[in-house]
Amino acid sequence: MKIAVAYKWAADPSEASVSPDGQVDFSRAKPKISEYDAVAIAMGRALADAAGAELVGISAGGSAAATPLALKAALSRGLDSAVVVQSPDLESAGTFQTAQALAAAVRHLGDVTLVVCGDSSIDAGAQMVPAVLGGLLGWPALTDVGAAQLAAADNRLTAERSIAEGIQTLVATLPIVISAAAGALAAPAPGMKDILAAAKKPSQVLSPADLSLELAAAAPVTAQVKVSGPARRCVQIDTTDPATAAAELLAALAAAGTPIGGRS
Amino acid sequence: MIGTVYVLVTGPGGTVSASQLVAGARSLGRPVTAVAVGAEDVAGDAALAGADRVWWFGDQSGRPPEAFAADAAKAVAAEPGLVLTGRAPADRAIAGAIAAAMTAPVVVCATAVEVGAGSSGLVTGPAAGGLVEQTVEYASPVVLVGPALAPAGAAAGGGGAASATEAEMPPGPLSEAHPYPVEQASLTPAGGQKANLGEAAVVVSAGRGFKAQEDLALALALAEAVGGELACSRPLAEGLGWMPKDRYVGISGNQIAPEVYIAIGISGQLQHLGGVRGAKTVVAVNSDASAPIMTAADLVLCGDLYNLIPAITAAVK
Ligand SMILES: Cc1cc2nc3c(=O)[nH]c(=O)nc-3n(C[C@H](O)[C@H](O)[C@H](O)COP(=O)(O)OP(=O)(O)OC[C@H]3O[C@@H](n4cnc5c(N)ncnc54)[C@H](O)[C@@H]3O)c2cc1C
Repeated sequence: MKIAVAYKWAADPSEASVSPDGQVDFSRAKPKISEYDAVAIAMGRALADAAGAELVGISAGGSAAATPLALKAALSRGLDSAVVVQSPDLESAGTFQTAQALAAAVRHLGDVTLVVCGDSSIDAGAQMVPAVLGGLLGWPALTDVGAAQLAAADNRLTAERSIAEGIQTLVATLPIVISAAAGALAAPAPGMKDILAAAKKPSQVLSPADLSLELAAAAPVTAQVKVSGPARRCVQIDTTDPATAAAELLAALAAAGTPIGGRS
Repeated sequence: MIGTVYVLVTGPGGTVSASQLVAGARSLGRPVTAVAVGAEDVAGDAALAGADRVWWFGDQSGRPPEAFAADAAKAVAAEPGLVLTGRAPADRAIAGAIAAAMTAPVVVCATAVEVGAGSSGLVTGPAAGGLVEQTVEYASPVVLVGPALAPAGAAAGGGGAASATEAEMPPGPLSEAHPYPVEQASLTPAGGQKANLGEAAVVVSAGRGFKAQEDLALALALAEAVGGELACSRPLAEGLGWMPKDRYVGISGNQIAPEVYIAIGISGQLQHLGGVRGAKTVVAVNSDASAPIMTAADLVLCGDLYNLIPAITAAVK
């Protein structure tokens, strides 16, 4: 039995810069394993260990995602092996194309009965790939899973999650796609031993053609503008004396036309 | 129903209500089909919200909405159209299955939608973590997830079915449904009040600068003194679990526009700030002068929250 974990090699937009005309420059933002995908890998590792399954990382992206640096970073987090679907068309792919590539990777691997995804990627952040992936595979998808257990012998997964209605426990028959809640478990940074071990783990880089996959065409972007929001004033209030600072804050809020506490 | 716009509803748990979604769909000037998935009262709510037609996918077994994702997707894909839904876990799960079945792009938190002839259209929404807004031209239907076109507190106009009994049930009897083998074993209802961050004039928000859950009492006391709501950054709601999930602010959580937003012990990462762009005045209380929030606030108090918050609460009183 194989468990697949989907991960993205992505840069943090907070390290990118935006020109006034809306062009995003990611050149100074270093890509890494997207924050919440590390949580998914940790969840996948625990499930695979308990079930005696193999844990395979699957990823879709442009050339950066298939570099030794990216593969090592993923493998050092505890994967047994990795498959990357690489294409220039996946460089800044949308939800649908990403899910298409991941579905093709799952089919290519065969024998996968569980896919674990992260909550959302650090760059796109849509929280939608797990569900589209489930749809393409014809499997159910359960998102926001805080804790999961596998009963591999009878093909069952128990998932617990916190939703608006309360704490829900679900029991599903495999195959299934789940996404790990953002804070499901801690994903410690890999140590030196993990990094050395990663160099010896197998990986495969495939093109969409290798998988007989035809990616859906991307829709054209007709406009892109910088989101700036209102300019903030950044007025510093001296905090040497907390009581004076508090009085000054209330006065400043009232002066700004936004009083608090019923005073104006 | 030619050119119908679908409204996908899965339950009361989302941040967008059925009537907001129907009102949003109505504003596009097309007939509205509600796709109600899960318990039967979800279909009832959708009918009452004024949809022209309601399809219900569910049964009395207590299965979660996710079990009916394939059935709902198949029905919608047979007559493709624009889909609007919320961002609750079940909304996303079924929206994804529909997108897969229609080969449709997904746009999250769209801010503007223009439908053209057939199912083509222009959709504007955030990209690159909210750094930019993109307008994309689609030739085929799109699945819109998140508060697109949903005016707060909007009540849907008439013209729709008056009750669930009048609403049309899905094509094909439900006995032909093929639910996925997913069952709900238990549900322990969440305690506490449902958050209403969207309507509060003052939102007091706590971050990881608080050292212990008990210390949140300081933020709560301030929120109560100013008659505001208590909110938080994502790690406090997910991971630490100190606050309910419906109270965190940011691109993945609540996007709010209060008169005053008071960020206490919050560093102000891009993903957090994306939730408060619309706030009139932002106050930051943080001990680190170089935290990003310090350049994203109107009024900045650099110092220890444990000294400053009680002083502010006292001054308000
Ligand atoms: C895809 C994605 C989506 C995300 N979506 C969201 C989202 O929607 N909302 C969200 O909030 N986050 C989101 N995040 C997480 C976000 O990137 C940050 O990690 C998070 O907002 C940080 O929370 P924080 O500011 O509370 O904690 P920290 O970044 O740890 O900041 C704590 C702050 O407290 C200050 N502090 C410490 N002690 C004191 C003291 N005694 N007095 C005063 N100040 C003190 C520190 O100086 C620091 O600035 C997302 C991340 C990803 C990858």
